[in-house]
Amino acid sequence: MFSLGDLPLSERIVFVAFLAFVFLFPWIVRSSYPRAVMINFLLFAMYGLGWNLIGGYGGQVDLGQAKNVGFGAYTTALMMTWLDVPFWFTVPVGMFFATLESFAVAYPMFRLRGHYFAIATLCVALVWQQLFLFWDWTGGARGVELPIKPIPNFTYMQFGAIGSHYFIFGLFMAQFLFMNWFRKSKLGYELQAVRDNEDAAASLGINVTWTKVKAYLITAAMGALGGSFYAVYHSYIDPRSIMHIDLTILIAMTAMVGGCGSMWGPIIGAALLIPLDMYLAALLGGRGFYGVDFMIYGFIIMIVAAFEPRGIWGTIERARRRS
Amino acid sequence: MELATQIAISGILMGVIFALIALGLTLIFGVMNIVNFAHGEFLMIGMYSAFLTSTFLSIEPLLSLPIVAVVGFLLGIMSYYLLIRYLLRGPMLAQLFGTFGLMLFLRYLVMFIMGPSPVAIQEGILIGKTVSLSWFTFDMSKLIAAGFSILLFVLIYWMIERTKLGRALRATSIEADAARYMGIDTEKMNALAWGIGGATVAIAGGLLANFYYLTPTVGMLFVMIAFATVALGGFGSVRGAFLAGIIIGVIEMVAGQYLSQIKLSFVYLTYFLVVVFRPRGLFGW
Repeated sequence: MFSLGDLPLSERIVFVAFLAFVFLFPWIVRSSYPRAVMINFLLFAMYGLGWNLIGGYGGQVDLGQAKNVGFGAYTTALMMTWLDVPFWFTVPVGMFFATLESFAVAYPMFRLRGHYFAIATLCVALVWQQLFLFWDWTGGARGVELPIKPIPNFTYMQFGAIGSHYFIFGLFMAQFLFMNWFRKSKLGYELQAVRDNEDAAASLGINVTWTKVKAYLITAAMGALGGSFYAVYHSYIDPRSIMHIDLTILIAMTAMVGGCGSMWGPIIGAALLIPLDMYLAALLGGRGFYGVDFMIYGFIIMIVAAFEPRGIWGTIERARRRS
Repeated sequence: MELATQIAISGILMGVIFALIALGLTLIFGVMNIVNFAHGEFLMIGMYSAFLTSTFLSIEPLLSLPIVAVVGFLLGIMSYYLLIRYLLRGPMLAQLFGTFGLMLFLRYLVMFIMGPSPVAIQEGILIGKTVSLSWFTFDMSKLIAAGFSILLFVLIYWMIERTKLGRALRATSIEADAARYMGIDTEKMNALAWGIGGATVAIAGGLLANFYYLTPTVGMLFVMIAFATVALGGFGSVRGAFLAGIIIGVIEMVAGQYLSQIKLSFVYLTYFLVVVFRPRGLFGW
């Protein structure tokens, strides 16, 4: 079920080497900044894998993934602050809220195709961001600060650099294995059929809307899982950092640049973009160069969209086919 | 009652400007079935053009409108030839992302050059003036902006409906291949749609700059309003955009009166409800 046996040997070797590298990373690198980059990379690879489900395998451009991340993060943060419950209890609740909200908007939304759908998801996400900025009971624009536990433990999952590294690595692996199963599952094939040709898929007896809705809900739950991790890792959340459209852009970009609808695309995209993002932030932060990072992203997106819509993985595959 | 009238009139004044903003978006969509996410950025660049000419060249903001129009026109044409042409060959996903990338690029380019803090035009014959009509009071600049918007809208509408160029544009939007067989240079028509779209929205920006503060991120807000307007009027319909603009203007004003912090949510909600329940717009059947 979780086997990677259908992939070429070279890909499996590279992947195992990658896993070994990530696993040993905190022992190879001792300084804290690269470790933070690594954790962020794994988080965004995870976001990207989740978004890739609806955006890549489903071909539906969802510009609202930040709201799902937000639901997860807010549920975890607020429940842990108010009720002092264990982290693991808040995760399914956050996923539940994200899927519930997505379910409520999904059915009407999937009557739309293409641009109409993309703008509708953007609208929904913007409404939620405004509400979370406006609401007092969620902390409004000030955000929520989680109570910090003095001793790291497995109930509250608030760790230092090494603990957080293995924590996010575990979540990443879980999501990776799920995606690996998903792409070969019945739903996965149905979704790809819907992406390639809706009418043909419908004529084969696939319920097009329901297939998309299911994919959308899984994507929402995955986003919420990442959000829950974000909340305990940073111990602080606010609507500008997790509900914001910029987060959606970065998530969609990891998948888009790496290669939509492929297993490795989001991981390659995150490996490229997150170090770049953090490097630029460190380089430009406080020097008065506002917005250079997003200017570069905009440029990358334009180039990729115009000349290689299938991203880096698309180029690799084409080169391999030629050889 | 007085308040209601005041809100309604302010809404209508704002609404015709929204209609002018939406004009280019709906035109581009009609001609080549592509949604321009960067439309709000064109507006923002129009605003900054008016700001820069007024601040550094001391040109009266109203007189700088031709310059602003040229900037917008060139921006539209350049976007078409440098990016959109290539996007049109790709899948829809790429088209969507492509204009989205253009949006980010332009927005943060301006932020890089101009800095993130809001600015406003200080000098101008309209700045800060008001008009009083018995018990209404209006900003002079809004009134003039609305007047210009109607004028320009009618002009473009006339051009599309009555001139040979407009007929070629409409032919391209109905059936590009057939139009090409008839000897219409569809490539040029596409570019023209982008040029007109860029010019009209930049002029709207130039007008807005008289009474609206400028930030590099202002485009997002207006592009969402324009999406809602275009959806309400029917994607691709120029006539619909005008009425829809006024409706959206009134909705925004009413919501702003009572729930100013989340007033934009109502605009987003309008888009959502319209595309879900009336996908062809209020006036399309």
